[in-house]
Amino acid sequence: MNLKSRLTGLLREGEIYGSQGLFQESLQKYREARQLIQETSGIKNRDSLLAVLSRKINTFEEAAQKVDQTPAEAQMSAQQQDLVKKLFAYSPDQDPDSIALEGALALAKFGQFKRALAEFREMLSKESLRLQAAKNIIRCHMAMSDGQEAVVEYGQWMQSGLFSRRQLEHLRAFLHNLVEKKGIDATLPQPSEDTPTAEPTVAADEIDEEEILDISSIVIHFDSGPYSGKQLELDVSFQTGNVISLLISSHEKEIIDNLTVGVKLENLQFFSPIAIFRGSGVISAKNKIDAGPKQGDYSLDIKIIGAE
Amino acid sequence: MAVFNVRNREIECKIVYYGPGRCGKTTNLEHIYRSFKKQVSGQMVSIDTEGDRTLFFDFLPMGVGKVMGCDVRLQLYTVPGQVKYSSTRRLVLKGADGIVFVADSLAVRREKNMLSLKDLHNNLKSYSSSVFKVPLVMQYNKRDLEAQGIPLMSVAQMEKDLNSQLKVPAFEASALTGRGVGLTLKECLKRTLKSLQKELRLSE
Ligand SMILES: Nc1nc2c(ncn2[C@@H]2O[C@H](COP(=O)(O)OP(=O)(O)OP(=O)(O)O)[C@@H](O)[C@H]2O)c(=O)[nH]1
Ligand SMILES: [Mg+2]
Repeated sequence: MNLKSRLTGLLREGEIYGSQGLFQESLQKYREARQLIQETSGIKNRDSLLAVLSRKINTFEEAAQKVDQTPAEAQMSAQQQDLVKKLFAYSPDQDPDSIALEGALALAKFGQFKRALAEFREMLSKESLRLQAAKNIIRCHMAMSDGQEAVVEYGQWMQSGLFSRRQLEHLRAFLHNLVEKKGIDATLPQPSEDTPTAEPTVAADEIDEEEILDISSIVIHFDSGPYSGKQLELDVSFQTGNVISLLISSHEKEIIDNLTVGVKLENLQFFSPIAIFRGSGVISAKNKIDAGPKQGDYSLDIKIIGAE
Repeated sequence: MAVFNVRNREIECKIVYYGPGRCGKTTNLEHIYRSFKKQVSGQMVSIDTEGDRTLFFDFLPMGVGKVMGCDVRLQLYTVPGQVKYSSTRRLVLKGADGIVFVADSLAVRREKNMLSLKDLHNNLKSYSSSVFKVPLVMQYNKRDLEAQGIPLMSVAQMEKDLNSQLKVPAFEASALTGRGVGLTLKECLKRTLKSLQKELRLSE
């Protein structure tokens, strides 16, 4: 190939890639072209060609840098947030409470923490949602920053008289756990005799002391045995306290056979809507579903025994 | 996940366009939006950056007529292709009933195609699904650039790189001109509905 057509080819590629936003590929071609010119003597308009090339290279270097530096987090418009709520809130039923909760959770999953926070705060006024909302407020704070905000807000809840003593203690333990994980040195006030509290209600009494987090899915990593190195992610269909129920498709037959009651799973990864953590668990029940749409699949209960 | 509304006799299913950054996913949806006016049932929404890179997703709702006596409503999504948006990509993929994998025919993007297919594979696995189970169609996009003397991979090469194990239907396309865009979607829809039908029958 002669020099001219090689050069034209490189420049054409550089131009097209650049116009499609493939800046690295474009730069590569322009740099090759530059090198080609530098290595060849006797090119007529060599200097002006080199000047053009270095301008191009500059432009695309800047463009590439701009793309790299765009943070992964971004704010949507309110309208876009509404759409996200509509499209990504997986609400199992038409109950307005769960629709509200799922909607705010969808916002949090897409990193729209400010609006999610506002919506969770609104839910605090509803007794049935209060504790869930408070926990999600804490999670949003933890995801947005170092958690100092969560500590402040917890302090306000202490004075609000909205929560029962038991709920406050529960929230304190929940927050303490998260704050500690971030290595923050914060003293969290304990609810005392003088703390204004709400009368315990049925909802408040339902709290399981051992409740860990609301887990939406888990990944089982097999570190030994026939599935060593494999992993399986399962959605949590139900959670009561520290026992989570999972559905395993009958397609995973071989894996199911290996998961028997009493087996200890050492390497579990838990996904809650905002946080991800590791831990271990024991299989506490396994049942084949023999009616309905999930017939043939298995439901598996795992008792979480440790979480980091 | 498909929603069956028995009372209204309606099926709502979700098809996701997946692929490496800049391969032409959004351009596919834009073409569909312009050319299938009759089927499009609402605005196309793009949540992107100033440089047109998808930031969260594109969304296009369609109605595609009756199948099995039910109205089929279709939701098309694209994921953001850039590597750094991996968690959004995973969120948007969730519950997909069918997938179009858009591969970039540019020779310089060969490795990115393979990495993105691997990423799809991993994300599906994390939802206890798999590239081998989900209704999937391949599209080899930007074929028009060949005429401009830009080095493209041959279709044989792309088949070998991306489809030798999957063996799913693959279409040459130019999302910019619209060539192959409709065919790709139709085939994906066909496969998706077939698989939903099978699922429905099993659960009856
Ligand atoms: N020549 C040509 N250009 C195309 C084609 N498809 C897309 N492009 C161009 O490629 C660039 C990227 O297209 P998009 O549709 O935004 O790509 P994307 O896959 O949505 O990219 P991300 O949102 O970043 O993942 C744009 O400049 C398009 O005009 C095609 O078939 N031929
Ligand atoms: Mg896009």
